[in-house]
Amino acid sequence: MRPENYEAKRQPPSNEFELNFGPNHPGIEGNYAFRVKVSGDIVLEGKADAGYLHRGFEKLMENRLWIQNIAITPRICVPDPVPMEVIYCLSVEDLCGQEVPARAQWLRVLQMEMSRFAAYLFYFGGLGSTNGMYTPHYWGMADRDLILDLFEELCGGRVYHIYNIPGGVRRDIPDGWLERVSSTFDYLESRLKDYDDLVFRNQVFIRRTRGIGVLNQQEALELGVTGPNLRACGLPFDVRRDDPYLVYDQLDFDLPTEDAGDNLARALVRRADLFEILRIIRQVIKALPDIDGPIRAPIPNPLAWNVPAGETYQRVESSKGELAWYVVSDGGDKPYRAHVRGPSQTHAVQVLEHLAKGARLEDIAQIMFSLDACPPEVDR
Amino acid sequence: MSKELARWMDDLLQEIDTLKFERKNERRVRVDVDSKSVHSLLELLRGRASFVHLSAISCVDWIDEGQFELVYHIWSYEMNTLVSVHTRISRDSCSYISVYDIFPNCAFYERDIHEMYGMYFEGSPCMDKFILTEWDGPPPMRKDFDSEAWVNEHFDWQDYHPDWLQELETQGGGIAIHPEEQRFSRRNKE
Repeated sequence: MRPENYEAKRQPPSNEFELNFGPNHPGIEGNYAFRVKVSGDIVLEGKADAGYLHRGFEKLMENRLWIQNIAITPRICVPDPVPMEVIYCLSVEDLCGQEVPARAQWLRVLQMEMSRFAAYLFYFGGLGSTNGMYTPHYWGMADRDLILDLFEELCGGRVYHIYNIPGGVRRDIPDGWLERVSSTFDYLESRLKDYDDLVFRNQVFIRRTRGIGVLNQQEALELGVTGPNLRACGLPFDVRRDDPYLVYDQLDFDLPTEDAGDNLARALVRRADLFEILRIIRQVIKALPDIDGPIRAPIPNPLAWNVPAGETYQRVESSKGELAWYVVSDGGDKPYRAHVRGPSQTHAVQVLEHLAKGARLEDIAQIMFSLDACPPEVDR
Repeated sequence: MSKELARWMDDLLQEIDTLKFERKNERRVRVDVDSKSVHSLLELLRGRASFVHLSAISCVDWIDEGQFELVYHIWSYEMNTLVSVHTRISRDSCSYISVYDIFPNCAFYERDIHEMYGMYFEGSPCMDKFILTEWDGPPPMRKDFDSEAWVNEHFDWQDYHPDWLQELETQGGGIAIHPEEQRFSRRNKE
């Protein structure tokens, strides 16, 4: 062996180690792996690894009737299922040129805001537990359960409601349901003070999250960040306000923002959002009894329903950010293509990899959860 | 302000010859463009007209025409308008150029399209498998991939007849799904 031909085998530096987060760990709301390379407790590099929840929904939808697909849609995001149903219905209605009755539109807004509230409670619980505080988790889950009870009364399902169908909603609300919604949310509002004491005014939480996972405006725009994570960087954008759908243009609400762009800011934006949700829900409860009329536009025989050929791109604001669907019909009884653009597809992959670089190992789970990523949305 | 901008953009887009422009409603614009001009159009829209947010890239397999359709959905926070740029790529060449230098967040969508449709994007930062890590079959979202046929070809069907079920069936109960009624049936094998 001549010395010029000899190449030393490259070994990784002895201070670098690889560590697998997941696929099961408390840092995220599902099965999602994150492989980090660490030196000491500094993360040099992180790589997202998805696929543990892939069920091929987009392919499944191409093989099922338009009406059958409603049962698939809420399963794409478990913690916040209503926007998925609504956006699918909006797409089909847009393709058919169908008008949705006013009462159904207000009912959809009510459901979406209830679902958003439940998803935020879930989020606070998870964020607390990544910081070693488990009480918010128990409280969050228990309070979320009250909202699930309301959904159960409305449509029979707690998590997957399948209440929206193209043209409107399945059935009208039960007697006295609005009063129960009102009293439940009054109770939840009275609970927010306790959450403040426990989490948002807690020095342990504040010192633990301030300055961690900082994302500035430039990076946020380049990486395609949307929703509350974008508002935490000081950019007041919301699909509800800027690209309104349903009856959001008739509702009065503000967009809370924070400037820091760190984990604390992302949590505080969502906390401030809760009050806006309460405002919207109260407006809907006030307006809904005066809106009479049908809850559903007539649809053709759903088993032989050919949707006119065309394509549509619909967007709604889910609790995680901008949710969009691109639906193509070739005039047949099944969708030709349904493409789901979930907000987590940017948050859980590129943004997370960007924020993990240089972070400390103990902050990784917290950064992951503060972005509120939803793995089933990435895998689909 | 925003209305003037929108009119300015309408005029600009109508001036370009190879481009088909259609305003669908107040906040949705559809543009059909040749695959060679997509990058310059996107750069123009991003640089001059504030379309900084790439919402998604969708791929549609038009198998009868032998083409893939790529759709770039881009949004302007200033004009509150979404432009969908449609382009067609031959199914045989099945490769295209990444827009990573214009929209850095395209990486996930391009990786996803590569995985699901087998279309290669030159210049994209990572074309590794992401969701279908252990998959070695053809790209599954293509229209010529039949998942039912794939299952029948690659997996053995097993009868599930535990004792308790046989007992029920002798009494006339149980789950009565005959093979010809099953969705993934064994009809072809027998």
